[in-house]
Amino acid sequence: MTNIQVALVGQPNVGKSMLFTRLTGVGVITSNYPGTTVEFDEATVNYKDVVMHVHDLPGTYSLSTNSEDEKVVMEMLCDNNNDVIAVVADSTNLESSLVLAIEVCELGLPTMMVLNKFDLKRFDFDIDTLTKIIGIPVIPVSARTGEGVDNLLKAIYEKMARVSDYRVQYDGHIVNYVKEIMAMDPSITWGMAIKMMEGVGHYIESASDDVRKRIEEMNEEFTSIHGEGMNVHLARDRYGDAHIIAMTVCKRTEQKSSRKDRISEMTINPSTGIPILIAVLVATFACLIFVGGLLAEGIETLYENIVGTALSDFGRQIGGELGEAIMTGIDNGISAILGLVIPYIMVFYILLGILEDSGYLPRAVVLLDRTLHKIGLHGNAFIPMMVGLGCNVPAILSTRIIRSRRERIILCTVICMAVPCSAQLATITGVTGRYAGFVWVLVLLILLVALGTISGIVLNSRLKYEPSNLAMELPELQMPRLRNVLAKMWMRTSDFFKLAVPLLIVGCIIIELLVSYGVLDEIVDPMSWLTVGLLGLPAVTIIAFIAGILRKEMSYGMLVILAGTQGITEITDFMTPHQFIVFGVVMSIYLPCLATMTAMYRELGLKETVKISLATIIVAVAIGSIFNAVLNVIM
Amino acid sequence: MRNDNREDYLINILRLTDGTGTVRTTELASYMQVTPASVTEMLKILSKEGLVNYQRYRGVSLTEEGVLKARELRRKHHIMERFLTDVLDIDHEQAHDQACAVEHSISEETADKMCRMIGTKIDADCTTCKNPCNDGTVTIVKCIAVSKMRQGDKGKISHLSSGESTMVRKLISMGFVPGRDIQLTTSVSDKGARIIKIGEATIAIDKDMASAIFVNLE
Repeated sequence: MTNIQVALVGQPNVGKSMLFTRLTGVGVITSNYPGTTVEFDEATVNYKDVVMHVHDLPGTYSLSTNSEDEKVVMEMLCDNNNDVIAVVADSTNLESSLVLAIEVCELGLPTMMVLNKFDLKRFDFDIDTLTKIIGIPVIPVSARTGEGVDNLLKAIYEKMARVSDYRVQYDGHIVNYVKEIMAMDPSITWGMAIKMMEGVGHYIESASDDVRKRIEEMNEEFTSIHGEGMNVHLARDRYGDAHIIAMTVCKRTEQKSSRKDRISEMTINPSTGIPILIAVLVATFACLIFVGGLLAEGIETLYENIVGTALSDFGRQIGGELGEAIMTGIDNGISAILGLVIPYIMVFYILLGILEDSGYLPRAVVLLDRTLHKIGLHGNAFIPMMVGLGCNVPAILSTRIIRSRRERIILCTVICMAVPCSAQLATITGVTGRYAGFVWVLVLLILLVALGTISGIVLNSRLKYEPSNLAMELPELQMPRLRNVLAKMWMRTSDFFKLAVPLLIVGCIIIELLVSYGVLDEIVDPMSWLTVGLLGLPAVTIIAFIAGILRKEMSYGMLVILAGTQGITEITDFMTPHQFIVFGVVMSIYLPCLATMTAMYRELGLKETVKISLATIIVAVAIGSIFNAVLNVIM
Repeated sequence: MRNDNREDYLINILRLTDGTGTVRTTELASYMQVTPASVTEMLKILSKEGLVNYQRYRGVSLTEEGVLKARELRRKHHIMERFLTDVLDIDHEQAHDQACAVEHSISEETADKMCRMIGTKIDADCTTCKNPCNDGTVTIVKCIAVSKMRQGDKGKISHLSSGESTMVRKLISMGFVPGRDIQLTTSVSDKGARIIKIGEATIAIDKDMASAIFVNLE
């Protein structure tokens, strides 16, 4: 079998990930805003007698800014011995896509252009002319409908990718400089020289001292003549060429609907945008609480009707009394956790999917930019926060869209501390809300917002200032498609069934064994100063908290199991409403789960991870104790 | 009357007014080293042709059509001049004088081809000029920062200016490149983000970034 390495590159939001899914059948999260892919995905396709290894690289606008993601892309492009570089272009915005395509062509790699979103037919294209001009094959596809994807596979299979001989009409001085550099060191190609002159780290670092020095001189000389740096002028010439090519090969057929523009304008203009934003957030939470609550009860009843006592009967048959105890525990745990996950977590991901695919989120980013400055962040922090309401792990990863390390530390702290993930949110609404009253859901949410704000303000004043800015492309608004929303929801929640349920079963068996050998109390006792003393909770809740470090959904499941070990079948007999409130408070603040900590370790390093984690424990215990003390007085 | 002379007036008014202001007849006369009477004579003709607005004692300004015509000429002048200095290595003063003579007779096509040969994109503004040719008078390129644009304003990016090179790089990579047309569609608030249409894309940038982009307003 022959292997073909294929790299998908393209600007943000041109639909690379959707194309990746179309090509490989491997689901990756796709959304209607720039920067959804922060790590590259890889998957294989078997086509005829070859295996294609397809890499989906993070979106980049250009290859000239030295930013982290561009470095990743640059290295993947140059060092991976790719057989095909497929530049994914947006047919509704050919001019800017062409600029990146030209940059890739200059590197002298086997390239082809994939003209995506072709089904929108907003322009008439002269594909033949485009192919002739840029010297690489151009394949129109629609990742959305799947049209043209076969042609793309065929083109990859038939090795149609070409090293382009296209040359940008650069300024006369620049062309002379390029020739001079190529003469100084014959191993330097045209494209490499251009990238060196743009000051791209990947190339300039490999250049000899002489070349580097000469380029510095050239830049000074050039700037004195033209009044702008070489990198600006190179970009200017590239855009000039891209503009001319775009004008030559495409003609507009359909005007963008002005209704879309008007709605878009309404979402951005503060006078209408802020009410819309508030409405969206309120609707999201209301939907979660009420639809989730309704579903939760329905599902628990359904579970009881279907499973009934089957599990505990089965347990008794195979393992006697201990077996029955274990199986009853599992039974209770599963029913509780199903009642949490399906309604709350799945509903949340459907809502998030709709918001993501509509293209609304970047508009909220714009509106919130000024507000978030107050806690040392920019509007773009809003998207990781929204994603964090689902799961903190992708939220931490998506902080990569923020370049400043300082802001990433602030944002990660705020996410860990104050953004409840869907499991925590489910505990807040489905446990605290259900057993202590819905007003407490509001109190807890307000508490979290305040906590996030305070930790942001504190960190903002403590960390050294670093300049940072907001720049974000606003995607067009579009109708979310049910299929993508549901597919994403499934991708994001299936983990739960694969991981949380087995973990719960293992945890349950361990606990039942501990109880039957009479050692559970001894284990939880050393920590009772915290659980009983400070927080006023049953001593065994420490197990639920520890289980929550593995996965947050586990906490409630374990709580139900633990209640069972105390001979209590109704969870409401196990803890008072006041205890449910304290439990909810501590649950939503303390320690991020293991996966989140790992993600944070990778993104920020050990020191920050330890600091942030410790801070969350201290804050959680402090606020939990205060709640306990205050509630003791008033309730 | 020869065409050259009329065109010389147009280009010189453009040099003195930068397309938007007014210049006094006497100023124009001394700048062109001709008598005020002949200036008045010519302005009457140009006014009849709709190329200038001329009022006695008030001075003269270019009409829209006049600006277009003058800018076209100035572009040819720049191209010619750069061709002479860059390609033929002729000194600037001579190149300027000769360009003044030739600018009237070369076609658009010739100018475009020369421009390609020089390799620098030359426009009607003086941004690519080594030495602006309006002698003593200072060229004021009317450009403003995007942060100062009002909603709906359109313009062409003239240059980027920021102390932080990463910001300039970021702007360029997102398409804020000199020479491109942009429009400010929304300004969220005075200190808030600016929403800009550039090409087919809509991009939001904060005020700091918007202050680093300068445009020539349309």
